[in-house]
Amino acid sequence: MDLSLILNTFMLLTLATLSTPILFPLLSNNLKNTPDTITNTVKISFLISLIPMTIHIYSGTESLISLWEWKFIMTFKIPISLKMDFYSLTFFPIALFVSWSILQFATWYMASDPYITKFFTYLLFFLIAMLTLIIANNLFTLFIGWEGVGIMSFLLISWWHGRTEANTAALQAVLYNRIGDIGLIFCMAWLASTTNTWEIQQLPTPTQTPTLPLLGLILAATGKSAQFGLHPWLPAAMEGPTPVSALLHSSTMVVAGIFLLIRTHPLFNNNQTALTLCLCLGALSTLFAATCALTQNDIKKIIAFSTSSQLGLMMVTIGLNLPELAFFHISTHAFFKAMLFLCSGSIIHSLNGEQDIRKMGGLQKMLPTTTACLTIGNLALMGTPFLAGFYSKDQIIENLNTSYLNTWALLLTLLATSFTAIYTIRMTTLVQSGFVRVPPLTPVNENNPAVTSPITRLALGSILTGFLITSYIIPTKTPPMTMPLSIKMTALAVTALGIILALEISKMTQTLILTKQTPLSNFSTSLGYFNPLTHRLSMTNLLKGGQNIASHLIDLSWYKMLGPEGLANLQVMTAKTATTLHSGLIKAYLGSFALSIFIILMSSY
Amino acid sequence: MSYLHLCFYSAFTLSSLGLAFHRTHLISALLCLESMMLSMYIALTMWPIQTQSSISTILPILMLTFSACEAGTGLALLVASTRTHGSDHLHNFNLLRC
Repeated sequence: MDLSLILNTFMLLTLATLSTPILFPLLSNNLKNTPDTITNTVKISFLISLIPMTIHIYSGTESLISLWEWKFIMTFKIPISLKMDFYSLTFFPIALFVSWSILQFATWYMASDPYITKFFTYLLFFLIAMLTLIIANNLFTLFIGWEGVGIMSFLLISWWHGRTEANTAALQAVLYNRIGDIGLIFCMAWLASTTNTWEIQQLPTPTQTPTLPLLGLILAATGKSAQFGLHPWLPAAMEGPTPVSALLHSSTMVVAGIFLLIRTHPLFNNNQTALTLCLCLGALSTLFAATCALTQNDIKKIIAFSTSSQLGLMMVTIGLNLPELAFFHISTHAFFKAMLFLCSGSIIHSLNGEQDIRKMGGLQKMLPTTTACLTIGNLALMGTPFLAGFYSKDQIIENLNTSYLNTWALLLTLLATSFTAIYTIRMTTLVQSGFVRVPPLTPVNENNPAVTSPITRLALGSILTGFLITSYIIPTKTPPMTMPLSIKMTALAVTALGIILALEISKMTQTLILTKQTPLSNFSTSLGYFNPLTHRLSMTNLLKGGQNIASHLIDLSWYKMLGPEGLANLQVMTAKTATTLHSGLIKAYLGSFALSIFIILMSSY
Repeated sequence: MSYLHLCFYSAFTLSSLGLAFHRTHLISALLCLESMMLSMYIALTMWPIQTQSSISTILPILMLTFSACEAGTGLALLVASTRTHGSDHLHNFNLLRC
C-alpha cells in the first residue's frame, strides 16, 4: 500500500473540504452558507486531517507535491509546491481542532450579530490562508499565505468598524506587519539572486550564511509575532471579537513569524550572530510583555500579553537552535491559549460585556465549567507538571540552563517565567474567588452546549497534548538528560515562588483601594511608555521632514531666495543705491552726449 | 564714400539725434533706438555681401536677438513708468524728487 499516495490524497482532500463553503455559494443560489455548515466543514476537515498525521507518526512518511510551475523568467521558475513534512502534518490537525472549537463557540458568541455568516466566511478565509502558509514549500506560496493572514487580521479586528479604537487597532496591526514584510521581501530577494530558488528544501547550509538576509527574516518574525519593537499591535488587537482573538492572536497568526524561522532554520544553523539576536530579542520580549501584564485590568489584555510573552519564549527557543522544541511549544500553546480566550469570552457575555477583572469575583460558583477550564488553562500556562505546557516549557528552560549562552537572556527568561505565574494567579484570584463584585442582575448562563463543549474539548487537549506529542514524536536533537538537581528544579522553583508571592500580595489587597503610584508600577501600567514615545515621535518627525522639504526647501529657497524673486530683490537693492547718485534729467544728459559727439567729429577734420 | 555708406551713416546719425533731442514722450526715444538698431542691422548684412565672407552672416542675427531683448525691456520700463506717473511725459519723471 503506497502510503505517500494516501497521505497526498487526504491532505488535498482536507484543503478541498475547506474551500467548499467558498466555492459552492458561487455555483448555485440554493447552496448558501450558514454558521453551522461552516463549523461542520471545519470539523470534517479536522477528522480527515487526522489520517495523514497518523500515517506520518506510524511510518515517518513525508511528501512533496509540485503543482503548476510559473515560468517567471527563463532562469527562475516558481512552482506551486506543497510540503508535507512533520511540521505541516502535525500542525494541520491542531489548527483545525482549535478552529473547529472556536467556530462552534462563535455560533453562540456572535449569535446576535446580523452579519454572522460574513464573519464565519472571513474566519474561513483566514484559516485557508494560514494553512497555505503552513503547507508551503517555497517562500512565494508562504508569502501569499502571510499576506492573506495579514489582510484577514485587518478585516476581523475592525469587525465592529463603527468603533474608532477598533479601526485604529486594525490600522496599527497592518502597519506593524508591513514593516515586518520588508524583512521577508528582502530575504526573498537575496535568496532569489544568490541561490536562484525560493524552495525551502533547497536552502543552502553553507558554513557561514551572511547575516543580512537572516536579519530580514528576524525582522519579519518581529513584525508578525509581536516581538519587542514591533509589539504594540497585539494588545491593541483585542478590539476584535473574542473568537478573532482566540483564533488569530493566540494560536495561529502570531505563530506564523516563528513558523517562518522554523522553516528556514537551515540558514540559521551556523550563524551565531543571528541566533544570539533571536535569543536576546526573545528574552526581552518575554520579560517586557510579562511586566506589562502584571498591572493590566482587562482580562483580554492580560491574555494578550501572556501570548506575547509566550511568543518571546518561542523566539528564545529558536535562538537556542531548537526549532522542533519551538514547534512543540506552538502546538501546546495553541490549546490552552485558545481555551483561555474562549473562557474569557464566556465570562464577558455572561456579565453583559464586563471585561474589567476588578468588577468580577466569585464567579466560581456562578460559572463552574468555565472557571474550572480557566483554572486548567492557567495551570497549563504556568507549566504545572504533566499538563500540556509543562512538557514544552520545562524542556525549554532546561535547555536554557544547560546551554552555553548569554546569561542576561537566561535571567530575563527566568524572571518572565515567575512573572507569568504572578499575573496568572492574580487573574485567577480576582476573577474566580473572593467576594462578588458583579452588579446584581447579570445574565449569567453557560448552559448552552455551544459554549461548554468547545471549552471542555480544548481543556482535554490542554491536559493530554503534551503527553501525546512526547510519546509519539521522536525528537531529532537529544534533550539534555543529566543536570544538577537545582538546575532541574529551576522552572518549578521560579514558578512556585511567583505563585506564593502572588497569593501573599493578593491577601494584602482584599480591600480595593487605589494603588500607590511608584515609578515601577507606572512603567508596567503604561506598557513601558513605548506607545506614546514611538507613535508620536515618529509621526512628528515625518510631518516635520515633509514640511521642511515641501515648504521650506522648495518654496522658500528655490523660488524666493535663489530664483526669480531673489534676482528681483538684488536689482532693487542696486537700483536704490544708484538712484541717489544722479539727478534724473535725461534730456540734459542726452543733449550733452550729442553735443560731445558733434565736437569730437568736428575736431577730427 | 559710396551711396550705400551714405544711407547707412545718415540714418544712424538722424536716429541718434532724434534719441538725444526728443522732447515730450519717452516712446519717441524708444522708436529712435529701434531705428538705430535697424540701420546697424542693414549695415551688418551688407558687410558679408561686400567682403564675400559668409562666416560673418551670423552677426546680424545675434544683434537682432539682443536688440529684441532691449526693446522688450524698454517697453516694460515704459509701461512701468506710465503706471506710476500716469503718462510717459518726460518732465514728470523728476518732478517730485527731493
